[in-house]
Amino acid sequence: MSYFVVNENCNGCLACVENCPANALRFKDTDENRTILHNMAKCVRCANCWRVCPQQAIEFQHFLENEWDEVKSLDLVHCRVCGEPIYTTDLEKTLTGKTGSEIDALCPKHRELDFAARQALVPFRRAA
Amino acid sequence: MIVADLKPVGEIAESISPFQKVSIVACGGCVSVCLTGGASSADTLARELSHPRHYKERPPILATTTIQRQCEKDFVTAYLNLPRDTDAILSMACGAGVQTLAEIFGKVPILPALNTSFLGSLDEPGVWREKCQGCGSCVLAFTGGICPVTRCAKHLLNGPCGGSSNGKCEISKDVDCAWQLIIDRLKALGRLDDYEKIFPIKDWSSDRGGGPRSMQFSSKKT
Repeated sequence: MSYFVVNENCNGCLACVENCPANALRFKDTDENRTILHNMAKCVRCANCWRVCPQQAIEFQHFLENEWDEVKSLDLVHCRVCGEPIYTTDLEKTLTGKTGSEIDALCPKHRELDFAARQALVPFRRAA
Repeated sequence: MIVADLKPVGEIAESISPFQKVSIVACGGCVSVCLTGGASSADTLARELSHPRHYKERPPILATTTIQRQCEKDFVTAYLNLPRDTDAILSMACGAGVQTLAEIFGKVPILPALNTSFLGSLDEPGVWREKCQGCGSCVLAFTGGICPVTRCAKHLLNGPCGGSSNGKCEISKDVDCAWQLIIDRLKALGRLDDYEKIFPIKDWSSDRGGGPRSMQFSSKKT
């Protein structure tokens, strides 16, 4: 997905490139083409490009509202009583390693039940 | 945002002239946004500072780099990489960034390239105006969103002084009387009752008079 969206009004004048305080914009001229390049890692989202563009070609709203990127997917552990997702299997491993003891898979609500009451409940099958 | 201004080039050149290899460190925070301390400004400054006319002897060798926020010690420690033989750093950050570098690089002189000016807003392209003094006890809820601590030359909290004339402050015909702005705004909001409220004597201990301030995040506040 792109954050720096330039519409068809752009005429390649380079006002945005020349006025970017973060050096986040460049251009590349080949034989017959001019390409505008944007580097999100350098961009400070100051909106100066949007401000100076004489063509109103920069659609800055994509910096302000955009889609979520999926950055990681992890398996979950569920409360053995009610099935509510509580933490990831990787976090469980980390905590088990640090504490040296097994963690009972219970959500905050069911953790509060006393031991005897918990024993009486039918264990919930762990989700695959 | 924090607004800063570039020091005169002669002053910067004088400060770096005793050194052989100087790293210019730009900041990707407020000073980039106010067009004085970002990567582009660092490149422009480096070009200017490399000119021999600024020095009695040879100009220092200059390198430029940028770190997104120069005022975060752990972040800068982890991600700011400088040439190993750097013998001085020219920081293009605000005063907080300069001092952060000074804490991290104990044996390298840190020189400021900017004069940190104020907390302000961009009122129109290329024009920043001071709006906040960070006094530590905000009164904007009662003053129509206009700060008398910052925008009244006398920091008055209970209406204008006798120097207010035709909406202007006595210090300059170009300076609006903050209390005129406040009254006009309260009138427009239908909240002139707020003007009748008497502010007690302000506790300035949360301002700079109480020494350097700090803040510790606490989730309990919410």
